[in-house]
Amino acid sequence: MDCIDSREKIDELYKKLTQQEEENDKYLESIMARQVNLEAKLNNITKALPNLQILHNDAVKLADMISHTSTLAESVSAKVRQLDISRSRVSECQQRVQDLQDLKLCKEGVKTALENEEYEKAAGHIHRFLAMDQAALKKTASHMSQGRSVEDCFTQLDSATKELRLIVAKNFEQAAAKDNAADVERFFKIFPLLGDKAEGLKRFSTYLAGKLTVMAQKTLKTCLDTPIHDKRAPVVYADALTLLFEGIARVLEAHQPIVETFYGPGNLLDVIERLQQECDKESRKILTELIQRRNLDHIVRQVDDASRGGAPMHTVASSASLVSMAASASGGQTHRRAGSTGGSVESDRKVPDPRDLDPLLNELSIAHSRAELYMRFLRRRITTDFESGDEEQREAGLKQMELVLQRSDLCRLMQELLGHYLLLERYYMSESVRKAMTLDTLDGEDSQTSSVLDDVFYILRMSIRRSSQSGSMDGTCAVINDACTLLEIDFCSYLHRQLKKGYSSGYLDLTAQAYNMWQSSLQQGRLNTSTQSDSDSARVMFLAHLNNADASLEFIKVMIRGLEEDIVTSIGAKNLTANDQAKLSSCLSGFGSVTASLRHVAEYGLQQLIASAVKPRTGPWVDAFMQANHQLTEEEFASYEADEPFVQNLIHNLEGLLSSFKAKLTFANYDALVGHVASEITTQMEKVIMKSCFNRLGGLALDKEVRALAGYLTAATTLSIRDKLARLTQIATVLNLEKPSEMSDYWGSSAGHLWRLTASEVRQIMLLRVDFKAEEIKKLKL
Amino acid sequence: MDDYKFLFKVVLVGNAGVGKTCLVRRFTQGLFPPGQGATIGVDFMIKTVELENEKVKLQIWDTAGQERFRSITQSYYRSAHALILVYDISSQPTFDCLQDWLREIEEYASNKVLRVLVGNKTDREDREIPTSVGEDFANRHNMYFVETSAKEAENVERLFMVIASELMEQARSKELPRYETPALSSRSTSVGDGGCCGGRFS
Repeated sequence: MDCIDSREKIDELYKKLTQQEEENDKYLESIMARQVNLEAKLNNITKALPNLQILHNDAVKLADMISHTSTLAESVSAKVRQLDISRSRVSECQQRVQDLQDLKLCKEGVKTALENEEYEKAAGHIHRFLAMDQAALKKTASHMSQGRSVEDCFTQLDSATKELRLIVAKNFEQAAAKDNAADVERFFKIFPLLGDKAEGLKRFSTYLAGKLTVMAQKTLKTCLDTPIHDKRAPVVYADALTLLFEGIARVLEAHQPIVETFYGPGNLLDVIERLQQECDKESRKILTELIQRRNLDHIVRQVDDASRGGAPMHTVASSASLVSMAASASGGQTHRRAGSTGGSVESDRKVPDPRDLDPLLNELSIAHSRAELYMRFLRRRITTDFESGDEEQREAGLKQMELVLQRSDLCRLMQELLGHYLLLERYYMSESVRKAMTLDTLDGEDSQTSSVLDDVFYILRMSIRRSSQSGSMDGTCAVINDACTLLEIDFCSYLHRQLKKGYSSGYLDLTAQAYNMWQSSLQQGRLNTSTQSDSDSARVMFLAHLNNADASLEFIKVMIRGLEEDIVTSIGAKNLTANDQAKLSSCLSGFGSVTASLRHVAEYGLQQLIASAVKPRTGPWVDAFMQANHQLTEEEFASYEADEPFVQNLIHNLEGLLSSFKAKLTFANYDALVGHVASEITTQMEKVIMKSCFNRLGGLALDKEVRALAGYLTAATTLSIRDKLARLTQIATVLNLEKPSEMSDYWGSSAGHLWRLTASEVRQIMLLRVDFKAEEIKKLKL
Repeated sequence: MDDYKFLFKVVLVGNAGVGKTCLVRRFTQGLFPPGQGATIGVDFMIKTVELENEKVKLQIWDTAGQERFRSITQSYYRSAHALILVYDISSQPTFDCLQDWLREIEEYASNKVLRVLVGNKTDREDREIPTSVGEDFANRHNMYFVETSAKEAENVERLFMVIASELMEQARSKELPRYETPALSSRSTSVGDGGCCGGRFS
């Protein structure tokens, strides 16, 4: 507790105490005020007490009455219940009597019906018989005098049931063998009446399966007989599959109503399970034919060997692409396939030409899509068939359906087929891209890009499209992934390799003088024309590759947009799950890293271009600044200002340089080039300025010149390059001061002058002014 | 909300039946669904975890182990930031195949990919591969190693969290993305060649 050691504190405490006392008083008063109220309430309660006793007595009476009533009610309801039981027993009894009477009728009926071969009638009687509670009837019979005759009925009806089953089965088989649809249907309907749904379904499915076999054999034969030059010949096996699936669909469509009408819903899966066995057998036949006739296994082995690099005897040039794809996949952006284009040693086991694979790839993709469509059809049908069942049944049914379909041979075969297709498609893309690179030429006189650009994107887009036509999202995604890899590794390193050669080989070593000489000799046409055109075309190709890298960015954007549409259309929007969509967009986003690599390549190319085409030329142009006098008299200034010889010359030269590229570069590349030139020029200018001395008028002239230069460069590009010019402009401003003291105004001013120069740099620059005194500069508060 | 700082692709490979799907399900959904059918093609799941106050989105590709899906699986190697190679500690054949899987990884994956060897099914009593053998193999091939049980949820969380933190570490230090990707560059970073999969096209 604080000590009470001062008068203020005592006062304070006293005040607090008084306040508390007042509060307590108020509180007491309010309690007192409530006293009256409480007393009145107590009074009321006292008055009410006797009433409570009365209330209690009444309640006890009521409880008695209620319990009495409930006992009464229970005894009444017990009687009702007994009545109910009796009534149900009576009706059971009636039923049994009815059954007994029917039993006889059935016995007689079956006999006559069987004699008259009226199987439906007989089956009707048997159905009635089977619906009876046989155990109960037998029990009743044992209590009756006529027990024996009832037993007789049973034996007879039992044997009649067996007999009829045999007859129906035999007749069904006969009808099936004769393919007598009416009879098949007739006997098919009887099975459920005999309590033999499963048997009926089995026989019916087998019958349908038989029909399929016949049909499939016919179609396979027609397909195989297709003449080689027929339009459909390249896709004849896909066509065979199509016909098979369509046949099955037709059979199902024709017979599903019969099954549903006489066997009820929920039975389709059983039928399809049996038919699927047939479909598996037939599709295996077709696919075996395909694999044999199209030499698929052999091709797959060749391509697989080639891509694994496990076949040293293969054509080196062709197999190298995939080998090195793998090599550089693990080695990052290394230059792969160095020398792979040379020395194509032919061997007896050649790897296939991608062009030859084209029809096969189409066929495989179509075949897969047909199976996909067929599976979808089955799923739809079976799901609808289960719809009327209860939740549990439906779920179990659908689960069973997935098992049946996924474990089917067809499904497995198609997965294998897709695997082969993907392997070949990857090879196709990779080889075609490689070819496009070897055949790379300028598209035309005015073209900024070379043929490789169009070719590569055409190939990739076509392959991805083809993969989406297979109907498999996994397959499509795999091809997209492979395409990304190809672009990022093969294509980018191809461009990088081309750009590495430089803008004009050998030019780097030429001095500016030599360049000028070369230029003048060019004008006079004295240069060896063949070398000239050689290096000319090399330079044109260099620019084309630089443009290829930039234009690829746009191509990728367009391609992705197009592909999204293509894929959704060919797989079908309604067949795409959310997961499929997520897969697709994730795989498409793989192109993002390709974009990044391409930017990197373009930037590298620009650096190359600057190093060989810009730096060597601009150096001498800017160096001319040092030859000029920057300590001008009024007169000299006036004449200098009139024609600004240095900067106008520089601008003129730059104009010449840039305009030579303007038409040959893409917009983005040209803008980037101007940006790079601006940086280069400002750095060089800074250097020569630092080596010169200025007086007031010299500074003024420089400021004007820098403005002219900045104006020219800013206008030359659509990009904002103000930033790149900031330092140089500021240097000119500093050199254009009236007197040193002005500097501190500028420096400190809140005019938004973002200084790119440090204080010591400013001092250093000011020292270039011969008329500024060093002490004054030193004194400046910066 | 699709809000994350890092995005990593993790791909699981290994023989059929070693429990790749179960590992992924355990991690992403906390489930162990017994009697799963074989994975078809490739399955795709996402889980965002928080590490050092950063949201890390893991895109997990669960591949089919059967040979006939190999072409599909192979296409995912290159863009992977981490590869999880799984075997079954109670099945020698699945361990024997590791060599083939590694060959495939060498062939298709980037050499910067983070590789993790996982011996799954430690809950099984009929172990055939001692821990030390797995460890040894991992050491020889410069891989991380961990034994897990998807059934008992043992080490599963740890497996993925270690991968996430390792990749984050890589992304932050030596392998900062060299390039900006168009749409998301300011928000997300990723490692690997050219800082892939940060970009989004839509």
